[in-house]
Amino acid sequence: MRRVNTNYLYLLIFAALIGETDIEVNLSSIIPAYNEYVTVLLGIAGTKAILIAMFYQHLRYEPKSLSTWVIIGLVIASLLMGLSFVQLHVGH
Amino acid sequence: MAVSSTQVQFDSLFGLFTYLAVAVGIVVFSLLIYFIVKYREKPSSQQPDDTPILGKMPISRGHARSVVLTLSLSTLIIVPLIVGSFGAIDNILTPPQHVCQGCAIEVTAHQFYFQFTYDNGTKPYQTRDILRVPVGENIRLNVTSADVFHDFGIIGYNIKTDAIPGRTNTIWFYPQTTGNFTIQCFEFCGVGHYTMKGTLMVMSQAAYFSWYNSTVVH
Amino acid sequence: MASAKRWLYTTNHKDIGILYIITSLFLFAAAGVLAITMRTQLSVPSNTILTANVYNQFVTVHGLLMIFWVLSPLAFGFANFIIPLQIGCRDLAFPRLNSMSYWFFLFSGVMMILSFFFGAAPDLGWTLYSPQSAAQFSPTIGFNVGAGALILMVVSITMSSINFLVTMFKMRAPGLKLRYMSAFPWAILVTIFMMLYAFPSFLAAVVLLYVDRAFGTVYFSSIQGGALLWDNVFWFFGHPEVYIVLFPAIGIIADIVPTFARRPLYGSKYVIGALVAAAMISFVVWGHHMFVTGIGLVSTKLYTVTTIAVSLPFDIIVISLIETLGFAKLRLKAPALFALGAVANFIVGGITGVFLASVALDYALRGTYFVVAHFHYIMVGASIIGLIGGLYYWFPKITGRMYDEKIAKVHFVLSMIGFQVLYFPMFLLLDMPRRIVTYSPQTDWGLLNLTATLGGFIFGGAQLLLFYNLYRSSRVGPPSGPNPWEAWTLEWALPSPPPPHDFDVIPTFSTDGTIHFGAGPGLPNGSNTPSGIGYPNGSSVGHGSTLRHSEGFSPWPILMAFAAFIFFLGLTIGKPANPQPVSYQPFWPLIADGIILGVISLFGYSREKFTVHEDAHVESWPFKQVPNMKLGIWTFLGAEVIFFGVLIGSYFFVRTNDAAWPPAGTLFDIRNGFAMTLVLLTSSLTAIMALASARAGNRSGVIASLGGTLVLGAAFLYIKAGEWFSLGSSNVFQNYSLPATSYFITTGTHGVHVFAGMCMTVYLLANAIKGKYINGDHTTLEHFGLYWHFVDIVWVFLFPLFYLI
Repeated sequence: MRRVNTNYLYLLIFAALIGETDIEVNLSSIIPAYNEYVTVLLGIAGTKAILIAMFYQHLRYEPKSLSTWVIIGLVIASLLMGLSFVQLHVGH
Repeated sequence: MAVSSTQVQFDSLFGLFTYLAVAVGIVVFSLLIYFIVKYREKPSSQQPDDTPILGKMPISRGHARSVVLTLSLSTLIIVPLIVGSFGAIDNILTPPQHVCQGCAIEVTAHQFYFQFTYDNGTKPYQTRDILRVPVGENIRLNVTSADVFHDFGIIGYNIKTDAIPGRTNTIWFYPQTTGNFTIQCFEFCGVGHYTMKGTLMVMSQAAYFSWYNSTVVH
Repeated sequence: MASAKRWLYTTNHKDIGILYIITSLFLFAAAGVLAITMRTQLSVPSNTILTANVYNQFVTVHGLLMIFWVLSPLAFGFANFIIPLQIGCRDLAFPRLNSMSYWFFLFSGVMMILSFFFGAAPDLGWTLYSPQSAAQFSPTIGFNVGAGALILMVVSITMSSINFLVTMFKMRAPGLKLRYMSAFPWAILVTIFMMLYAFPSFLAAVVLLYVDRAFGTVYFSSIQGGALLWDNVFWFFGHPEVYIVLFPAIGIIADIVPTFARRPLYGSKYVIGALVAAAMISFVVWGHHMFVTGIGLVSTKLYTVTTIAVSLPFDIIVISLIETLGFAKLRLKAPALFALGAVANFIVGGITGVFLASVALDYALRGTYFVVAHFHYIMVGASIIGLIGGLYYWFPKITGRMYDEKIAKVHFVLSMIGFQVLYFPMFLLLDMPRRIVTYSPQTDWGLLNLTATLGGFIFGGAQLLLFYNLYRSSRVGPPSGPNPWEAWTLEWALPSPPPPHDFDVIPTFSTDGTIHFGAGPGLPNGSNTPSGIGYPNGSSVGHGSTLRHSEGFSPWPILMAFAAFIFFLGLTIGKPANPQPVSYQPFWPLIADGIILGVISLFGYSREKFTVHEDAHVESWPFKQVPNMKLGIWTFLGAEVIFFGVLIGSYFFVRTNDAAWPPAGTLFDIRNGFAMTLVLLTSSLTAIMALASARAGNRSGVIASLGGTLVLGAAFLYIKAGEWFSLGSSNVFQNYSLPATSYFITTGTHGVHVFAGMCMTVYLLANAIKGKYINGDHTTLEHFGLYWHFVDIVWVFLFPLFYLI
C-alpha cells in the first residue's frame, strides 16, 4: 500500500501528542474534581498510546490479527488491576 | 458430636460435597472401568471402521448432545454446591454484632506464638498461648499479625483465618462443649512455624466469668 | 562429529528436546530424593531426622524444582521433538533462540541448586509469601540466589513461548489448518498462550521481591502492599501456572488414547474448545488462594463461582476421553495404561478441587494436607503419570528402539498402587497443617503419615524401573520401526529416529482429509545439504571456522546463557553492606565478566550468518502477511504489556490501599516529567523518521534520525539520573518510603528498557553509517521501532501516573 505524505502524517501525530501532553499538564486546573480528573487524564494518555500504536507502530496498516494479539495482552493485564481493586474496595 | 457452630456447619456442607463427589466419582469411574474392560482388545474384537491410519486425518466423531448432556448434569450438580457455599459464607463472614462482655477477643500472631487480648475495662488483659472462652456464647475474634503472614486455626472447629500485618480479619463461633482444642498456625511463617501452637480452653460459663472478672483492673 | 560440540552447539529441535527430557528426568530424581527424605521425617511424630531449617529448604526446593524444572521442561522436551514433526515443518522458527532457551533453563537450575550453598536455599515454600520473604525476616543470600535462578528460568520460558507461538502459527504444513491439528499440538498451543501472559507477572513479582531485599524498597514489607500484594501478583501467575503444567499431559493423553483405542478422539473439537475455555477462565480464579485473607463477600463469592465453573471444561474432556473407548479395540500397552491411569487420578484430583473451590469449605481446609493431596493428585497423578505415558509412547520414535513392555507394566502397577497409598491418606489429614517439620504424638496423624511414607517408597522405588527400562532399552532394545503403534499423526511417518532434516518432502493436507507424503506441492530437502545428511539450517562463524556449515551449530546461545548466569550470580551473591536496612553489595567481578561475555556473545550472535530455511507454502492463518520476526517481536511486546501492567498494577494497588499519599507535585517536579515526556515523544518521531528515510533510500536521513534518537534517549536518561540523584540524596525514602518505592522501581525498570533501546540505537547507527538499511533491508529498523515506540507508550502512562496525580 503506497502511503502518500507519510512524513506529514508523522509530524501531525507528533503535534497531536505534544498538544495532548500540554493539556494533561494543565488539566488539574480545568477539572477540579479528583476522580473525574484522573479518569480524563488517563483517558488522554490512552489516546496518546493508541495514536503511537496505530501510526508509529503501524498497527492501523497491519492485519487485524496483530491488533487482536495486543488487545488480548491488555485485557489480561487489566484483569489483575480490576479484580484486585474489587478485593480491596468492594463488598466489605 | 457437636463441638461448635463452625464445625457443625462445616460437617453439613462438607457432607453435601462428599455425597455428590462420591456419587459422581462412582458413576465416572464405573464408566471408565466398564469401557476399558468391555472394549479392550480380545481375539474376538472387531476392527472399528474409523480407525485413524497414517495418511488420512481421523474423521470427526462425537455429538454436541454429549457435551450438552455433560454440561447440564455438571451444572445441576454444582448449583447446590454454590448455593450451599454462599449460605455458609454469608454465615461465616457475618459475625454477630453484639457479644457478651469478655467474648470479643483480639488475637495477634507473632513469630512464633499467639497473643490474646481481652477487653477488660480500663486495661486490656493479655495472655499468650491459651485462649479462654465460655461455652454457650457467641465468641468474636479479631485476628491480626505483629510481624509476618500467619494463619490462626482451631483444630476440631474447622475454622481459621489469615493473620496479616496491618489488617484485621474477624471470625466468630459458638462453642457447644467444654474442653481443650489445639490452635495452630496454618501459614508457613518461618523456621518456628511448626511450633506455633496454642490451646483453646472452652470453660463453663461460671468458670470463665469468674476468671475474667479476676483479671479486670479497676 | 565430536559429541560434546554437537550437544553444546546444537540448534536442532530434536537434540534440544532430548536435552530437555534428560535434564528434567535428572532433576525429577533429585526433587524426588528431597521428597522421600521429607516423607521419612514425617513418618512418625516428633521425628528428628531433619531439622526445621533443613526441612523448610527441602520442601521449598522440592516444589520449585518439580514445578519449574521438571513438569514444564519435560513437557517441552516432547514439544520440541514432536511438534515440528506433527505440524510438518523442519524446526522451530528461531532455532538459536531455542538453544538459548535450553541453556538458560539449565543454568537457572544450576543456580537454584547453588542457592543451598549460600547460607540457605529459599525456605518459605515455593509460594514465597510476604512479608516473611522480606530481607529482615529472611536474611540469607541463598534466597536472593534462588530469586536470580527464577528470573533466568522465566527468561528461558518467555523465549520458548515466542518461538513456539510463531512456529505453530506460521509454519504449518500446507493444508494443515489449526482446527486439523491433533490434541497434543493444541494443548501445547493453549499452554504457550498461558505461559506468555502469566509468566511476566511472576517475573515482575520476583524482580520486585529481589529489589525489596537488595535495595531496601518496601513493596512487600509495607502494610499497604505486603502480604496481599504478593498474594495477588503471585497467584495471578500461579493459577494459570498449574494449568500450564497440566495441559501438555492432557494433550499427550488425548493423543495416546485414540491411538491405542483404534478410534478417533470423541468430540475432538469440544475437547479443544474445553482446553481454550479452561485456559481463559484460569486467569480469573486466582482469588481462591486468598479466600481467608479477608477480601470480602463479593470477591469470595465471585471466585467461588469462577473456580467451580472451571471444572466444567474438564468434565467435557474426561467424558470425551471415556467415550473415545466406546466400541474401540483398546490395546493396553504401557502408554495407554499410563494415559488411562492419569485420567483416573485426574478424576479424583478434579473432584477434590471443587471442594477447595468453595470459600466456605476453604475456611476449614486452607493450609492443610487436603490441599496437598488435591494438587499432588493433579500434578503427579495426572501430569507426571501422563508425561510418563508420553515417554513410553515416543521412546521408540526418539531412540528407534522399543522399551521392555513387561517391566513397563510392572512400573505402572507399582506406580499406581504406590501413588494411592502415598496421597489418598492425605485427604484424611484435613486438620494437619502444611509445611511442618514434625507433629506431636498427641495428634492422631501418625498412622496416616506412616502409610503415606510407605506409599512414597513404593512410588519412588517404582521409578527406578522406569530409568532402568529406558536406559537399557536405549542400548539393546529391539528396533521399533517407524510406526510401532500404527498411529496417524505425522511423526510416525518418519523413520525412528527421524533424520536430522526430518521430512524429505513436507507433507500436504488436502481438503478431503488425505495427507500426501512426497506427492503434491512438496519442497526439496534442506537448504544446501544432500538428502539424508546434515541439518536444514546453515550457520557459518566468520572465516576459518572449524564448525561444519550445514549442521546448524552455534556457540552463541550457550555463551549468552552462561554470561547471564554469571551476571545474575554476581548480582545476587553479594555480601550484605549494612545490616539495617538489609542491602547487598553486588559482587562486581562476576557482574563485569557477565556483561563482557554477554556483549561478546550478542555481537557474535548478530554477526553470525545463520540461515533459517523458510518454506514458502505454509499455513499461516491468521498471520499470513506478518513475517516471522515481526510476529516474534509483537509476541514479545505482548509479554512486556503484562510485565509493565503488573508493575503499574502494584503501584496502583498500594496507592489505592493507602489513604495518605502525597499529592501531585510534592515529591516530583512536574517540569522534569514534562521535559522527559517531550524528549521521549520526539525520539519516537525521530525513530519513525529513520524508518521513513530508510524506505526512501536516504542515507543521511537515516543517520541523522538515528543520531537524533540516540541523543534524545540520552537526554531522557540524563534528566532521569538528575532526578534520581536529587531524590536519593534527600529524605524521600524515610518520609515517603512507599511512594519512593513505586517511583524508583517503575521508572527504573522503564529506564533500563530505554538504556537497552539506546544500545540497540548505537548498533543500528554504526550499521547505517556503513550504508545499511537503505536498500530494502530496513526491517531491522522497523523492528527496533516497534520496541522503541512501546517503551514510549509505557512512559506515556507513567508520566501522568507518577507526576500528575
